[in-house]
Parts: sequence; C-alpha cells; structure tokens
Amino acid sequence: MGIENLKTTLKNEKTGNSLILKTPLIGASGTWGYNVEYQDYVDYKYLGAISTKGITLEERLGNVGERIFEVFGGLINRIGLENVGIEAFISDKLPILKENNIDFLLNIAGNTIEDYEKLALIAQTNNIKALEVNVSCPNVKKGCLEFGLNPESLYFLISKIRKVYEGFLIIKLSPNTQDIKSLATAVESAGADCISAINTLRGLGVKIDYINNKFYKKTVQGGLSGTCIKPVALYMVNQISSAVKIPVMAIGGISKLSDLFEFMAVGASAFQIGTANFSNPSVIEDLAIELSEFMQKNNYKTFDDLKKDIKNG
Amino acid sequence: MLSFFLRNLDMKKEFIGKIEQIEKISSDAFKMVILSDLQSVKCGQFISILCENKTLRRPFSIADFEKEANQSLTTILFKIKGQATNYLKSLKIGDSVDFLAPLGNGFEIDNKKALLIGAGIGIAPMLFLKKELNKRNIENYLITGFKSRQEVIKGSDRTIIGGTVLDYIEEEIKNQKPQTVYCCAPTVVLKGVDNITRKHNLKTYLALEKVMACSIGVCRGCVIKLIKDKKIANYSVCKDGPVFLGGEIIWE
Ligand SMILES: Cc1cc2nc3c(=O)[nH]c(=O)nc-3n(C[C@H](O)[C@H](O)[C@H](O)COP(=O)(O)OP(=O)(O)OC[C@H]3O[C@@H](n4cnc5c(N)ncnc54)[C@H](O)[C@@H]3O)c2cc1C
Ligand SMILES: Cc1cc2nc3c(=O)[nH]c(=O)nc-3n(C[C@H](O)[C@H](O)[C@H](O)COP(=O)(O)O)c2cc1C
Ligand code: FES
Repeated sequence: MGIENLKTTLKNEKTGNSLILKTPLIGASGTWGYNVEYQDYVDYKYLGAISTKGITLEERLGNVGERIFEVFGGLINRIGLENVGIEAFISDKLPILKENNIDFLLNIAGNTIEDYEKLALIAQTNNIKALEVNVSCPNVKKGCLEFGLNPESLYFLISKIRKVYEGFLIIKLSPNTQDIKSLATAVESAGADCISAINTLRGLGVKIDYINNKFYKKTVQGGLSGTCIKPVALYMVNQISSAVKIPVMAIGGISKLSDLFEFMAVGASAFQIGTANFSNPSVIEDLAIELSEFMQKNNYKTFDDLKKDIKNG
Repeated sequence: MLSFFLRNLDMKKEFIGKIEQIEKISSDAFKMVILSDLQSVKCGQFISILCENKTLRRPFSIADFEKEANQSLTTILFKIKGQATNYLKSLKIGDSVDFLAPLGNGFEIDNKKALLIGAGIGIAPMLFLKKELNKRNIENYLITGFKSRQEVIKGSDRTIIGGTVLDYIEEEIKNQKPQTVYCCAPTVVLKGVDNITRKHNLKTYLALEKVMACSIGVCRGCVIKLIKDKKIANYSVCKDGPVFLGGEIIWE
C-alpha cells in the first residue's frame, strides 16, 4: 500500500481557506533550498511541501564570516538570509517547482511593512497557493524580528499582507518572546490561516582553544536549531494551539516518529523538518514511510483520526 | 518531467559502507577503506560521513577509489581533531559507515605537466590525483609539507618537514616548469599558493575547506565569494567547490 493515508487538509474554519498536503511532512525553510535540490536523496512523493529558503525583495549575499557552529544536539547558524531575491525566484526557481509538481510554501522576509506587502502581492499575482511569512529571523540586523515580537505591530503587518494576498497565509513565529500566546492571537485575529513555529532560538557558540600557553576564542552568534530545541518547540506549540483555532505546523528538532506523536499531542497538524535533513537527508521519506506503516498496522485510516486519538490520549 | 519521480537508483547518493581496513599511518592520522555500492568518483571530490552524536556530517576527501565487481573501495585519510574523528578512529573492520558521495566538483584534469601541493592532511586528495595523472601518463610532481617527522604521510616526490611548504613553491615552479598547479592545504597555504601562481600565470586549482551543514548546496553555510567577469557572487564549497580556480577567490 502507498502513503495515501497521510493526506491531510489544513483549514482555517473561519475563512474556509485551506491547504491540502499529500503528507504532513514539510521541508523547513533554509534547509531545503528552492526546489529539487534533494532529489538524489528523497522521493518527493513523500513530501507534503517544501518551505522555500526565505525570499526577500532583493537578492542577498548574507553574512560574512563563519556561518555554522555545531553544538551538542544542534547547530547555530548565521546565514543572514542569503537568497536569490523574489525576481530570480519567480523566473528561475518557480518554473522548476511547477514542472515537477512540487507543492511549496513561499517563505518571505522583509525589512519594512512595504517589503512584505510587495512580496505578498507578487505571490498573489503569481497565483502562489501558500505563503509563509517569516517574522522571526534572528540573523539579520533589522526587520523581521522586530515585527514578530510585538502583538500590535504583528497584527498591523499581517492585516496589510492579508489585504493583498488571498491564498493560504502562514505566519512563522519566533520563540524569542515572553508572550507567545498574545502573538498567536494577534496573528489569528489579523486573518492568517495557520501558524508555524518555531523559528530558531537566539544562541551563542563559544569555542576556546588553548595552544602554546595561549587562549584563543571563537564566537558565533545566531539561531539555534536541531534536537536540542525540541522541548522549547513543544512548549510553544502547546501554548499556541491552546490560544488559537487555526492549524499549527510544528517546527523544531523533529527527527523521528515519536517526535511527530509528541507534537500531535500538543496540537500540531503538520510538521516541518529542518536540521535533521543535514544528518539524514532522507529523513522526510523515512518518517513518511514509518508514519504510514504505523497507521496501517494500527488501523488508522486517516491522519486526522490518528491526530485526534493522540491529542485525546 | 514525470521521469523525475521515478527516482533513478543509480543516482542515489547515500550509502551504507563497510570498513575493510583501518590503520594508523602517522602519529595523528588514519587511513580508512570503505566497501560500498558507490559507482564512480572524480579526483577532488569528497564524502560526508555521519558520526555518532554529531548533528553535522563530516567531509573527507577521497584519497583513493577502486572498483571491485559491482562494488568499490573508497579510501579516506583522516587526521584526529575532535569528537568526530575520534569516533572514526574507534571504528573497527566490518563496522558500517553511513556516507553521502560523491560530493563536490572535483579537479579538472588538463593534459599538462602538473605541480601538486599538499600541506598536512591536505595530501589526501593529492595522492588520488597523482595516481590518476600517472594512469593517464601526465607528468606530475607532488610536494608536501608536514609539521614534524612523526606526522609525515608517505607518497610524495618531495616532503618538507617543519617550516612551511610555501617557501619551496617558487623553487619547484622553476625546477619542474609545471603548466598546471593543484593544491589542498589550510587557508594560509592556499592563499600563498594563489599569490605565487598568479605571478607566474599558472592555471591553479585550489581545494578549499569550510564547515559544512547540508553538504549539498542548500543551507549556504559554506559559501565563499568569487569574482568572475568582474561580478562578485557566493559559491558553496560543498557543491560548487571544493575546487576553485586560483585568481577568482576573494579571501576573507
Ligand atoms: C571538503 C573537505 C574535505 C576534507 N577532507 C579531509 C580529509 O581528507 N582528511 C581530514 O582529516 N580532514 C578533512 N577535512 C576536515 C575534516 O572534515 C575535519 O577535520 C573534521 O570535520 C573534524 O571533525 P571533529 O569532530 O573531529 O573535530 P572538531 O573539533 O569538531 O572540529 C575541528 C575542525 O574541523 C572542522 N570542522 C568541524 N566540523 C566540520 C564540518 N561539519 N564540516 C567541515 N569541517 C568541519 C573545523 O575547521 C573545526 O575547527 C575536510 C574538510 C572539507 C570541508
Ligand atoms: C541553516 C538554516 C537556515 C534557515 N533559514 C531560514 C529562513 O530563511 N527562513 C526561515 O523562516 N527559517 C529559516 N530557518 C529556520 C528553520 O526553518 C526552522 O524553523 C528551525 O531550524 C527549527 O527547526 P529544526 O530544529 O528542525 O531545524 C533556518 C534554519 C537553518 C538551520
Ligand atoms: S554545506 Fe550547505 S551549502 Fe554547503
């Protein structure tokens, strides 16, 4: 048997907007590239969608210097949103997604409200079905994080985007906040269809070497991701799903079947997998097969049935 | 493009290999030979090994490759650094190794006399290249540098012990009169070689190192800047590299 049992629909009951996913497993932004980059490792039929690398209005070269620092159970990155820019995305990357029938979320980031509005309008004009708005990148000096940490400015920003974009609107939240519930509520009341969480946590990597009686220090400040952030992600997803009715996509340290169950238990309707792809580039395929087999073996006809049972368990 | 969904199994790039041989080759370096289904590789390409308790895979240059019926033997040489290389050292014959391969672009091979330069464990890809050049009857000369006698890995035409191999490049360019230069070494040496060979107008291939996360070009963790046709752009060491042309690299 195939993996048809993994099909699921995310729906905003209020607006009726929905997103159909072949499987609830999505490649997280920044770890999956733009389209077919993983084709040597994953059969894309197991993939619910790709979240594209964060796209900005203009091309960006990203940060200078060390961009990756490994820590126990994860890594710190300071890529700084290196991306091809929306124009090149539409002309070079989008046709490949279409040709190969790959479902995707266009992940966007900006410095100003106008940036986000322009990007959303381009998404609308190009009939892009799902938009994931990054209001939570900790690696750029100004912009997205500022919007993402204040309920009022977040509400304002999302209302503006909602006016120009009619597709499935997902807001990606930052964990670097005291009050995730108010942010989630602001997102919902501004008309978004879904929340994805979490983005990376702020972190500092420090390495001290002692060579020839001298200390050498190296530091890398950026966003922490990987299995080590899972408890934070579970906490955040739990808080968010208890505050809003719109569906929640869980992100943060997911790498195995039990992780999916744990996030379902706190209200997740779909999953994004990021850092785990780096150690196991076929992790999404593996998870899809394991999840589907578990469901068949235990007589769950649909993913929604499974979700319900785990949540009520 | 429906064919895309019928994943071509020959294209598969993740392998579970089996260790055929693991041995100490110098005071701080080991040789590991892995039997797997990997079908073909190019000199200068690398593999990326999953190591216990590590989020990130670790890249190692291919130091030799031989087909064996339907399978192959891939050799790497690794120097002990931290946890991952200590883990590799702890493995035994018969243990399995999960690796991605072949990765990166590899060296272009011109039909011209070549000077090969390696510093420390940078000798690894040079040994593979030397073997390939010999096979093709392309004249070549490998000079390497090591910090001490205990660290020397065999296989060079000339070995410099102590000091820096950089001090001998001018001399070998004069002696050997190469038309192409290849180098794998720490950044300071690569940069030095780049400067020297530019003066002599020699085509130079430099194999770079950067910390890698995805190793397939998507995360942009390993990028460097190149200048081509007066335009500066980012290139990934893992996919666009690790081999870049001398004269094009903007050193950080
Ligand atoms: C293309 C390429 C080819 C290489 N070929 C060889 C080889 O043939 N033989 C060999 O001994 N070494 C090679 N290296 C270096 C080797 O990957 C590192 O020595 C190894 O990753 C160290 O891991 P560790 O956990 O033992 O040490 P750590 O203490 O974790 O790191 C020591 C140093 O290794 C480097 N390093 C750490 N993590 C990574 C990573 N994920 N990706 C890349 N570099 C990292 C960093 O410079 C770091 O400072 C190569 C590196 C690259 C990029
Ligand atoms: C190298 C790297 C680059 C990332 N780039 C982006 C990005 O461009 N936009 C974004 O919204 N999130 C980005 N993220 C965050 C991930 O999408 C994800 O939210 C985070 O890594 C947590 O999930 P994980 O633990 O599964 O990796 C990036 C993460 C990593 C590791
Ligand atoms: S390691 Fe990800 S782009 Fe090179």
